[in-house]
Amino acid sequence: MNNFRNFCIIAHIDHGKSTIADGLLAVTGTVSAREAKAQLLDDMDLERERGITIKSHAIQMKYKASDGENYILNLIDTPGHVDFSYEVSRSLAACEGALLVVDAAQGVEAQTISNLYLAIEANLEIIPVINKIDLPSAMVETVSNQIIDLIGCDTEDIILASAKEKKGIGEILERVVKKVPPPKGDINAPLQALIFDSVFDPYRGAIAYIRVFNGLLKEKDAVRFFANSKEFLAEEIGILGLSKIKTKELSAGNVGYIIAGVKDVHDTKVGDTVTLARNGADKPLPGYKEIKPMVYSGLYPSVSDDFEDLRESLDKLRLNDSALVFTPETSAALGFGFRVGFLGMLHMEIVQERLEREYNQNIVTTLPNVEYHVYTKKGIKVVVDNPADMPSVGEIDRVEEPYIKAQIVTPSEYLGNIMKLAMDKRGIYKNTSYLDPTRADIQFDFPLSEIIFDFYDKLKSTTRGYASFDYEYTGYRESDLVKLDILLNNEQVDALSVIVHKDKAFDYGRRVCSKLKDLIPRHMFEIAIQAAVGTKVISRSTVKALRKNVLAKCYGGDITRKRKLLEKQKEGKKRMKQVGNVEIPQEAFLAVLQLEE
Amino acid sequence: MKNLSIYVHIPFCAHKCIYCDFYSITKTADKEKYLESLLREIEFFAEKYSNGRKVISVFFGGGTPSLMETEYILKIISAIKSRFRLEPDAEITIEANPGTLEKEKIQGFLSAGINRLSLGVQSFDDGELEFLTRIHDSKTAEHAVNEAFGYGFKNINIDLIFNLPAQTKSKWKNTLQKAVSLPVSHISAYSLILEKGTTLYKMVTDKKTKISGQEFDADLYETAINFLAENGFDQYEVSNFAKPGSECIHNKSYWNHTEYIGLGTSAHSFADKKRWWNYSSLKSYIEAVKKTGNAVSGFENLTEEQLLQEYVMLSLRSVGINIEELKNKYSGEWFPRNRKILSEYEKGGFISFGSGIIKLTPQGYAVCDEILTRLE
Repeated sequence: MNNFRNFCIIAHIDHGKSTIADGLLAVTGTVSAREAKAQLLDDMDLERERGITIKSHAIQMKYKASDGENYILNLIDTPGHVDFSYEVSRSLAACEGALLVVDAAQGVEAQTISNLYLAIEANLEIIPVINKIDLPSAMVETVSNQIIDLIGCDTEDIILASAKEKKGIGEILERVVKKVPPPKGDINAPLQALIFDSVFDPYRGAIAYIRVFNGLLKEKDAVRFFANSKEFLAEEIGILGLSKIKTKELSAGNVGYIIAGVKDVHDTKVGDTVTLARNGADKPLPGYKEIKPMVYSGLYPSVSDDFEDLRESLDKLRLNDSALVFTPETSAALGFGFRVGFLGMLHMEIVQERLEREYNQNIVTTLPNVEYHVYTKKGIKVVVDNPADMPSVGEIDRVEEPYIKAQIVTPSEYLGNIMKLAMDKRGIYKNTSYLDPTRADIQFDFPLSEIIFDFYDKLKSTTRGYASFDYEYTGYRESDLVKLDILLNNEQVDALSVIVHKDKAFDYGRRVCSKLKDLIPRHMFEIAIQAAVGTKVISRSTVKALRKNVLAKCYGGDITRKRKLLEKQKEGKKRMKQVGNVEIPQEAFLAVLQLEE
Repeated sequence: MKNLSIYVHIPFCAHKCIYCDFYSITKTADKEKYLESLLREIEFFAEKYSNGRKVISVFFGGGTPSLMETEYILKIISAIKSRFRLEPDAEITIEANPGTLEKEKIQGFLSAGINRLSLGVQSFDDGELEFLTRIHDSKTAEHAVNEAFGYGFKNINIDLIFNLPAQTKSKWKNTLQKAVSLPVSHISAYSLILEKGTTLYKMVTDKKTKISGQEFDADLYETAINFLAENGFDQYEVSNFAKPGSECIHNKSYWNHTEYIGLGTSAHSFADKKRWWNYSSLKSYIEAVKKTGNAVSGFENLTEEQLLQEYVMLSLRSVGINIEELKNKYSGEWFPRNRKILSEYEKGGFISFGSGIIKLTPQGYAVCDEILTRLE
């Protein structure tokens, strides 16, 4: 166990986590240059395209250090997005050390800081690395000072690297061996292994990535998962090389995988503990949490008949996405569909995109919302994840909404812009500290609902892309919230209802009415669009009645063209959603996301 | 014996107008070759479609058919006469440009057997005509109508266009007023269609001119329908108005599923539940006919469902849907299926249900396509 080293890399997007990882794999001979596809650790298409790591994996390297000893290094990858912060915390929990990688030209960013804090909380040994020192725009000294301020190390503790040029990689390996403590644990104690990730394989079922803390896991052992007390047979166990390498056993301190005929990733929950079915541990490892969705949205089939198809696709998707939660719901406007819970907006986008790309589903999505806690006058707490389910105004005593603590790192000249944006988003200013004279780290509390749509885009545009942002969930707080309904010819469109802050209701209502006016085609009658809070109409607009729609001429008996046009128009009408006698184009349900100021 | 109509496309024009996206060419050197091709096409289709059919109408459209030498037109009519059974009282129409209609032409057409003249007047407002880059002015147009009538054309149509840029309601009314004061029996009033690829389209996208929206367009349309009705012209199709008994037989063939053979570039045909169409380019057309006797560039076989949908679409935009006929010819289910929505439209004043025929009201004609998309 003394020769094991388990570590991870903390870095902001594009600061070079993947190139450092590739460098380590190459220097330790784990991967030949030919095998080293760029950015080895990200193996989902979508991840590659977006250049971000969504799911974490691990890889084992053998390294002969300058002290002459042979070491086993387990590099555990961490997801790089705030939506997956719980998974990050579990990956960190599987390690004893972390490389803190900072781009020499960019400096410390918000995500670096928040993940660093998680690592420090997890008691990891931090090894600071400045990457890309060869860039002409590198500012090694500035970045060094930022790091020193952050973690209180000495200049000489910081490794200067250029992963692309393979500079500094050897030093990193040596430092890992020297500084990262070997795992502690008792090989004779009952088995306790932490699941830090799991993926679904259509042939093998759920594959859990584990870090063994105590005891010994052997092939064909009967194992038990703590969270649901289910028992399985460890059909195959092994370590993680470039691909899976079968072994007979995994002992305390090591990192590997287990395949146990589990049909569903929900049985191999991240953060759960694996023990033996007989003579197992009496307690799981600390830190397990049921992950809860933060953002909800209605997902409906574009054509109502495809409801069962969508259910099937979601079921399949759920098999390898343990964070995905959904329940059937019905909407008067959209028919049968699902209320789906996501970890965050990125997760939501990924799910939508996978449904469309991998499962060929045409879906209509409603405006995402957070989960509200509504307390009625009778003292009952109602959890509202769909604005349409909000109790009526008269019944409500108070409403609470989730808040987050946000960390924004920005060049100081943009402080004013950020303050203004934060005010627009109901931010509560907390604190500013300076990473160096030109870079500030500002903290705010925000209602989660204010940052889920366009906050990040707005932040980027108001700071010319220089600011970075990260957040963590803090809890529920009371807010003056109202439900705003949209009515078309006096019929309420349930899928367009939103919960907004009272002060923003009027402005929001006005913008939705004006947007819908442009999106809803003229009908053969006039359509009144109204935004209402309770029974009070706060804004209105009108779609005038259709006056003329007829092709004047069928040129020279070209009936085909006319008929095809008609068929196309009929197809288009079929995709419209109907409320009362008004047909609403599907774009309208999401277009409310893109309201101009 | 089945009725058959024949359309002859003449693609030549003295000049291309800014709103026109028809396949027409201003170079007229190939006229003779074109004639030969038409004659061969007549041979070809006569083989297949003359049996069991009588020709009730021939229509020379374009382009500007009147640019074709009168003797060529005569040759085409003779060929049709010899290869098809042309009814003695068949309607034979030619489209003509008021700007190039000399006395000799009129007389020539009459002696070739042409008995209906369709004049592309478009407007009686000189400013509008200039804008449209037409080669005639309103005086010339008026003169052309009177001359044609004087020499013996008893059945004259004039084409008019409304919703032109800068057109006012009173200008449109003046044009209509002038039209009904002339010896014409038929008026086609088309709302300007802005076709992609035309000069006008570019002018509009470049914001050099502006076309009014549907409100104004609908107002002008309503003006036309009411004014023409007051003056004895009944609407029998979206854009067509005629004095009783002067409805265009050829036009009606398109609307009531009568078979027709289209000859010449880009011409469309319909027979034996098939639709087909010719090459648009003059070169491809001539080459194809030379090789194979025809120039079909595409076709489709209509399913029963498509035939039904066409029947609904075509009859609704013209004389109305005859419920009994539809039931016998196509489907007994269509009417029950649509009864509910139809009665809503009746309530809304868009259609009337007189004597088993579902007919659009003037208000309904304006939204014909909208109604069609809602019928199943």
